[in-house]
Amino acid sequence: MKTTIIKSLLIFFFSSLSPALCSQSAELFFKAAGSPANPKVQVSWNKYYTYQGITDLCRRLEKAYPDLVTMESAGKSYQGRDIIALTISCKKNMDPGLKPGFYIDGNIHSNEIQGTEMALYTAWYLCEMFGENQFINKLLKDKVFYILPTINPDAREYFMHEPNTASSPRSGLVPVDNDRDGLYDEDGYDDLNGDGMISQMRRKNPDGQYRADPKDPRRMVRVAPGEKGDYELLGLEGIDNDGDGLVNEDGPGGYDPNRDWGFNWQPAYVQSGAGKYPFTFPENQAVRDFGLKHRNIAASQSFHNSGGMILRGPSIQGGGAEVYSRADEEAINAIGKKGELIIPGYRFLTIWKDLYTVYGGEVDWWYGAMGSYVYSNELWTSYLMFYDTANTDQYEFDRLLLFEDAFIPWQEVDHPVYGKVEVGGFSKNFGRTHPGFLLESDAHRNAAFCIYNAWVTPELVVSDVKVKNLGSGLKEVTATVSNRQLLPTHSGTNLRYKIDPPDYCYIEGGTVIAGMIVIDADRNINAEQKRNPARIEIENIAGYQSIKLKWLVKGGNNFTVRVESVKGGRASARSE
Amino acid sequence: MKMNSRILIMALIVIPLLSGTPAAGQYNNYSRMTQIIKNLASEYSSVCSARSLVKTAGGKDIWLLSVGTGDRDNKPAIAIIGGVEGNHILGKELALGFASSLLKDYQTPEVRDLLNRLTFYIIPDVSPDATEQFFAGLKYERILNARPVDDDRDFSVSEDPFEDLNQDGYITLVRIRDPSGSYMESPEDKRIMVTADLAEGQAGSWLVISEGIDNDKDGRFNEDGEGGVCFNRNFSFNYEEFGPGAGLHAVSEPESKAVADFLFDRFNIYATFSFGPQDNLGQPMKASDRPAQGRMVTSITKSDETINKLVSDKYHEITGAKGAPAAPDSRGNFMEWAYYHYGRYSFSTPGWWYPVEKGKNNEAAFLRFAEKNKMNDVFVPWTAINHPDFPGKQAEVGGIKPFAMINPPADTLPDLISANYRFIKAIAELHPELEFLDLKTENPGEDVYRLTLKVHNKGIFATCAEVGNQNIWTRIMRITVEPSKGQTILSGQKVQRIPRLGGDQSEEFSWLISGKGNVTIRAGAINTGTITETINLR
Repeated sequence: MKTTIIKSLLIFFFSSLSPALCSQSAELFFKAAGSPANPKVQVSWNKYYTYQGITDLCRRLEKAYPDLVTMESAGKSYQGRDIIALTISCKKNMDPGLKPGFYIDGNIHSNEIQGTEMALYTAWYLCEMFGENQFINKLLKDKVFYILPTINPDAREYFMHEPNTASSPRSGLVPVDNDRDGLYDEDGYDDLNGDGMISQMRRKNPDGQYRADPKDPRRMVRVAPGEKGDYELLGLEGIDNDGDGLVNEDGPGGYDPNRDWGFNWQPAYVQSGAGKYPFTFPENQAVRDFGLKHRNIAASQSFHNSGGMILRGPSIQGGGAEVYSRADEEAINAIGKKGELIIPGYRFLTIWKDLYTVYGGEVDWWYGAMGSYVYSNELWTSYLMFYDTANTDQYEFDRLLLFEDAFIPWQEVDHPVYGKVEVGGFSKNFGRTHPGFLLESDAHRNAAFCIYNAWVTPELVVSDVKVKNLGSGLKEVTATVSNRQLLPTHSGTNLRYKIDPPDYCYIEGGTVIAGMIVIDADRNINAEQKRNPARIEIENIAGYQSIKLKWLVKGGNNFTVRVESVKGGRASARSE
Repeated sequence: MKMNSRILIMALIVIPLLSGTPAAGQYNNYSRMTQIIKNLASEYSSVCSARSLVKTAGGKDIWLLSVGTGDRDNKPAIAIIGGVEGNHILGKELALGFASSLLKDYQTPEVRDLLNRLTFYIIPDVSPDATEQFFAGLKYERILNARPVDDDRDFSVSEDPFEDLNQDGYITLVRIRDPSGSYMESPEDKRIMVTADLAEGQAGSWLVISEGIDNDKDGRFNEDGEGGVCFNRNFSFNYEEFGPGAGLHAVSEPESKAVADFLFDRFNIYATFSFGPQDNLGQPMKASDRPAQGRMVTSITKSDETINKLVSDKYHEITGAKGAPAAPDSRGNFMEWAYYHYGRYSFSTPGWWYPVEKGKNNEAAFLRFAEKNKMNDVFVPWTAINHPDFPGKQAEVGGIKPFAMINPPADTLPDLISANYRFIKAIAELHPELEFLDLKTENPGEDVYRLTLKVHNKGIFATCAEVGNQNIWTRIMRITVEPSKGQTILSGQKVQRIPRLGGDQSEEFSWLISGKGNVTIRAGAINTGTITETINLR
């Protein structure tokens, strides 16, 4: 009896702890504008999630919102983890695969972890606001989101659980022989003080060029010419494991997953970080296959860090085989500028011109090979510390706002070659990733940019289906097909290389004798389609464009006109 | 009963062995090639093994033969690739023929010695889906594998193939008499159709299309048949995005990926020979061929040019071949990939050609050559047919038979195989090879010894092609000093890089070591072989 009570108490205790089952009771809170009032899935947005944490959160979302969320694996990582893919859309009104899609991935670079949280926040926000916000309701009825929180799960885990800096590893974990000696990954960092971080090494040296900054002695500053220093810097924690005179030159992985994409690809002596050929690495193969299965992805976002940038292609001068049409330029720039407004501190830039040349980058692949619009946001900017572009002092920020939580105090250790050295510096969760308290607000802004970008994908409408009797059983049916959004159904590249079929416009209800696109109704100039006139092929429906169609039909009274577009979705209307 | 079934099994084993013996002077289809490869591997099992690298979309194996003695994957190696372009059946025979010839000679002192130093990896056919069309009931020059591809990007797949309108088993041409056509009979040879030249006052009176009908009624003929992707357009150097037969992206196909993976995994390979349309043996590559583009290497480097010229000279000398026409510039091809992106010496030849003249029609030149060489069966005479897409118009099927212009008559195969075999064998002898020179120990005082030596490449080929020196998929040679117990290196590194050594080049190294005893020095890399020397300091 007693044990039963204890058991049920325990069950009650644990189930109340289990966040999946927990919404707060209504007496306890007052809704803040723009945030879900009482989320079914409770998540803290001031921390970073491990692979297990990501999996758990995605499962809870799928369980709480089965009518919105499908969770699947896009493929396996090198070490065998599933690349989790969430499909988020209202499943009830239409097959999500027929709606214009928006794709998000995060964490392609292992150390750039917060792309994952931005992606997860977007997924969570969409689910929790559905039913609570009219705009989100319509958005998920009209569009579908494909969200891959991490496309590099192995090295995300490696970054979090193994000794690293804020900048390592960029790579995934497929072994590469970086120093070309026949041994793989044999000379990586060495965590001399055993704190799970790789930081700086300094050594007392009367001839050294560095000394502690009197304003903040944690910081090493270079002495002015003629002044005396007392320290030398010896680089990042490590030893020459393979005895070849070089330190830390062949660590785990050793490539750049974002130089591996099958467009404008070049080998490593041209583009450092490239693999053997496009899609050398299994994680990118999985994303490629996912993209090929979801041709409805009209626009996409790939989250990186850092620097506060909204990046657009092309990534090489001239764009390679990509075709940036004037219409594309206008649309891409309009959305990017809106992004600068949505995310203060972020600048809208072109990769090759404002950053550097990238061959084989994911951005060029989405636009060039897939015909999908794409941005890549470089998350976190030092501007966010004091909302100031002039004062970006990390030490002061750490002192005043993080209470020195981000710094590893200098500590003496024995180095097998250098003797007594001191190890210290910023920890790996600072400098490129958001401090906890700033994570949610930047996640919301970046999610809002994705939502805006998804909202401006094509919205097709069929209207004005009119029938005119021409006598002797012949009728003229006219209709208008419009795109009520900013992005066209086909990008410049898509049109040039015929990546997707044209938009097909069908008429049902009679026997079609002839069909045409009306070029100029007033002067009766038409483009007749001689083959298969019951399915008019429209090459492209540009942003805010209306296209008039005309058929000559025998028989029938009620007509339905329906448009099918891979990236523009579906619409139809009946004759009046 | 038991006895009988054993005999039956024996018979089953023996019969294919006999029928699979490579017959001189014949082109081998996929199943015969497979049998020959298996037979070679079993007959010469001490120096040869065979395995499949992958299966193609058409379900055919990409066969690999590894030939050499001992630890094959740890010796400098040459890769030989055939079937690079699927209509070039000769390439497959030259690669397969190389393997058979080498194995037949393996007990001669010359070949045994070569196989002790080098390994040969032979992949006779990398386009088996396509090459099989040569042996099929319906013959046409196919270069595409069996992956379903929407060649004409009309969103129907493989909907407009060829049709054999005159039922002769060959896909040739159709000419239709039509005043709107731009073709006329060639003044050089009336059998050949050429475009009329307005500048010469000529007007065309024929339409010319490939043999077949316009199945999808798009105004184009036979533009979307079976397949596919062309192996020789699917590589990453100068790759053409969205190019015809180029594939979804570079190295997208199971066979191109498997071949590339195999080659990348074998760091011991220092050179490749391929048989296909690319030709840097007939006409060597020139350092000034293409302007440089930023960090991209687009023309052969100076020192590699020297070796290419030498190898080309040897090709002419040993095979007796001459007058090779300039090879077409084509994108995404294997030969240039093997040089520019794989970073190895790369040589390629079509192996056979006919003489062409500048300003003259190639097809007419071919027909003259065929006549001279008694190749009687190369042309299908124009014969009238009814073409459903041109009702009421005079239509005729005819033209040069597929494959005839790039694949010689089968009876010439033994000579061509022998010549190319002798050539590759001779070039293999130029391989990089390391030796220590001027080994010197000095004793400046006490127990301190100065050890000095040179590492010399006594080969003609460099230790690594110059283009591969910056390529992460080639190895950098190391020199390692291993002192024995009680000895210390006072100056110099235990492990050092040896820079790339050209043919007959050397590099000096020196260490200060304290303590008596043996010091072991190792130098080299997997692609040059490693040399070892033990020196007693006393």
